[in-house]
Amino acid sequence: MNRKNLKISRAQLVGFALFSVLILSVVSLSQAKGIKHLKATDSAADCYECHKYVTPRVAQNWLESKHGVQLMKCFVCHGQPDGKGSIPFSVKPDPVAVCAKCHDPAMQRMNEKFGNEKGCYECHPFHQNSLHHDAYKKSASKKQ
Amino acid sequence: MKLSRRQILKAAAASSAMMAIGGPFGIMNEAVAANEPDEWVKSVCRFCGTGCGVMVGIKDGKCVTVKGDPNNHNAGFLCLKGALMPPIVYSKDRVTRPYIRQNGKLVPASWEDAMNLVEKKFKEALAEGGPNAIGYYGSGQALTEETYLASKIFKAGLGSNNVEGNPRLCMASAVGGYVTTFGKDEPCGSYSDIDAATCMMIIGSNMSECHPVLFKRVAARKQADPNVKIIVIDPRKTNTARIADEHVSFKPGTDLAILNSMAWVIINEEFDNQRFHSKYVTFMTNEKEKVDFAAYMKFLEDYTPDKVEKMSGVPAAQIKKIAMMFAEASATTSFWCMGLNQRIRGVWANNLVSNLHLLTGHIGKTGATPFSLTGQPNACGGVRDTGGLCHLLPAGRLIKKEAHRNAVEKQWGIPLGTINPKPGLHTIALWNAFSEAKVKAMFVLCTNPAHSLPNVNIYTEGMKRTDNFMVLSEPFMDAETVKYCDVLLPPAFWCEKRGTYGCSERRYSLLMKATEPLGECKSDFEILMDFAQRMGVDPKIVPYKDVDDVWNEWRQVSAPTPYNFSGITRERMEKESGILWPCPTEDHPGTKIRYVRGEDPNIPDDYPKKYNFYGKPDGRAVIWFRPYKGAAEEPNEEFPIVLTTGRVIDHWHTGTMTMKVPELRRSFPVAYVEVNIDDAKAKGIQNGDDVLLETKRDKMVFKARVSDVCRPGLVFVPWYDANLMINKLTLNAIDKGSKQPEFKICAVRISKA
Repeated sequence: MNRKNLKISRAQLVGFALFSVLILSVVSLSQAKGIKHLKATDSAADCYECHKYVTPRVAQNWLESKHGVQLMKCFVCHGQPDGKGSIPFSVKPDPVAVCAKCHDPAMQRMNEKFGNEKGCYECHPFHQNSLHHDAYKKSASKKQ
Repeated sequence: MKLSRRQILKAAAASSAMMAIGGPFGIMNEAVAANEPDEWVKSVCRFCGTGCGVMVGIKDGKCVTVKGDPNNHNAGFLCLKGALMPPIVYSKDRVTRPYIRQNGKLVPASWEDAMNLVEKKFKEALAEGGPNAIGYYGSGQALTEETYLASKIFKAGLGSNNVEGNPRLCMASAVGGYVTTFGKDEPCGSYSDIDAATCMMIIGSNMSECHPVLFKRVAARKQADPNVKIIVIDPRKTNTARIADEHVSFKPGTDLAILNSMAWVIINEEFDNQRFHSKYVTFMTNEKEKVDFAAYMKFLEDYTPDKVEKMSGVPAAQIKKIAMMFAEASATTSFWCMGLNQRIRGVWANNLVSNLHLLTGHIGKTGATPFSLTGQPNACGGVRDTGGLCHLLPAGRLIKKEAHRNAVEKQWGIPLGTINPKPGLHTIALWNAFSEAKVKAMFVLCTNPAHSLPNVNIYTEGMKRTDNFMVLSEPFMDAETVKYCDVLLPPAFWCEKRGTYGCSERRYSLLMKATEPLGECKSDFEILMDFAQRMGVDPKIVPYKDVDDVWNEWRQVSAPTPYNFSGITRERMEKESGILWPCPTEDHPGTKIRYVRGEDPNIPDDYPKKYNFYGKPDGRAVIWFRPYKGAAEEPNEEFPIVLTTGRVIDHWHTGTMTMKVPELRRSFPVAYVEVNIDDAKAKGIQNGDDVLLETKRDKMVFKARVSDVCRPGLVFVPWYDANLMINKLTLNAIDKGSKQPEFKICAVRISKA
């Protein structure tokens, strides 16, 4: 089999398309109604305090990233899970609406250099842009 | 059927796109597209003293978004507060019409009725008690033109030097420090020093949360060159300490001893710069006696690292280490903020940081400077520089000096002798006098003293009196001071008006008007002009059509002084994103380094020496012998813990703005008490428990956050929360020189509630 080509039946293609529809419907529904999210208590309100337990990989990635060191907290890019924030809630924020607030000059430079073929995220793993420093080893989550 | 990988992906993408129509991504993208601004208008962030340039996105006449100004010092970056400003403008709590208090309640009123009452009350106060019976309490958040105008109305027009502002609570000690050391206020370096420094000492500042965009620049510098050393000196292990090579935790208040001890190490390791300090420094005792270097060495013998270890709890080896880091680096910059300023020894602490720079020659070179950070966006440019305090006149001139008064009187075109030669009441004295109804009429503008004053209960009690009068210009109905004002005026807010902000680095930037004021709101310039006319102030004193007229006068007033920024014209400000003074001509690029020949336009090119600290008659800066002395209220048996206060990154000042942003409010909705793990164990306190804090002044219950951020024996409470105002517990003792209160240290007892 040619590695670039795959043999797929019509039925498989239709099945794949229907599967995509199903997945997107679920995601759409859950996002439209608000992803199930615990109500933050008064004493543990910032996202990291809970997410270091419930989504430790993402939370730790953020903490060790430049955004984490600089305390650009989750809601600045993702909005608020209840959808009542000042920007729309999104798992994958729109670069034009969100990233451009700080990174507009860089986005314009990239656009001029490479065109508009790729999104920011394809080259910049925003949660994993480490500060190349061991400061994060002192973080609260490392002590858990 | 054969399909390529690309075809499969295309098929999947097509089905995804179909589903996305009406789905969340579709909605979001439509929302994004719907909010795409018609226009971007240049401005400055409304929050901290970093003074980041912002571009305000306007659609259909409303502010819909912001982004960083790529041409200002922040190079397009914003912090989380700056990035989320628009909801504040359209908060349901905006005051959009005037109110008058009747039978204890604020009732809507017309501008005419409200201002008639203001006029009547101020005229009555003047008739009864003379100029000392009125006062103005302004803000480091008001525009430069507004503070300049208010100060001129009161000092030149009404004969009252009772002109103060909240900068007295945040940076008065920095002013005192710079003036006593260098003879002139304001930093001698700039933010760009961060990019060249090889060592940075951050003391008494949680830069990461209080000046996040500057901290980003420091972190970027550290990332670019891991050999750059970062020293953080703070009794709390804050987020700032994450990038520190050395975090120095000490017994609160003993930082003065540590700084003296660093000087001892530098001299004894022979890392002082004799060539520099022998030529450019005067050694002066605390009693203002000029002495020699040997006397300084003798003074420092009380501060050997071993002795200071016993006082401060900092290991002698760590003191030696940070002293050597400071001295050995090719360029060291220091940053400090409220941790040093909000102290009864605030001026001394400022002097002691500058001492280290003067001792080592880490000054006047790119990357080497002692840099005081400021808390508010226009405390420097708006209040310090325009002379918006009770002892000051514009451009650093002093009311008590006849020559300075006469110079300003000439510039203002008023008869010599018009300005009262006696300085007015400083902030704490002013509010004491108001609480005793000795000051009978007070104009409060763009600040929230019923929340921000220390030991605030005594002042709010005073505000409740019916025999004094307070008019308040305040954009938000839920600000604490609204509860006590007699007349409430609705000011235009931030992007609804035009004017200047001057941030920590002597940078003046223009905020352009981007939207029309809501409802019946008027700019504070209009409000003050109306007030002046009603009070019968000579129109020649306030001949302004608009804020640009005020700016142009202020520009000319600065011209014969070392502040000279006559080259910062409105036209330049519209084109450029901030210019650093001195800037004497329209083609001058602005000044990054002061006191150095070839950099500072105040020093002629043919001046024989490289440095000239021209604020001092002999051109020499001063190394002061400032001893370590304790806080006004040290912990004792009854109140054994130190209480300190500060900010969290999510909130700013009294929270009247940040609480309007859903994300920020939700991030930290309620203030808390941060307790050390060991102290918590000893008291049986768990994370989330209710903890009772008691000082001599009041008591209050907070939820506990147990961590190792505070050192043992220290608790921290953020001060933004109007429902849990920690300033009911803080102390109103003041620095003798700067008159700044000691918010940072008082004695408290804690127990599980």
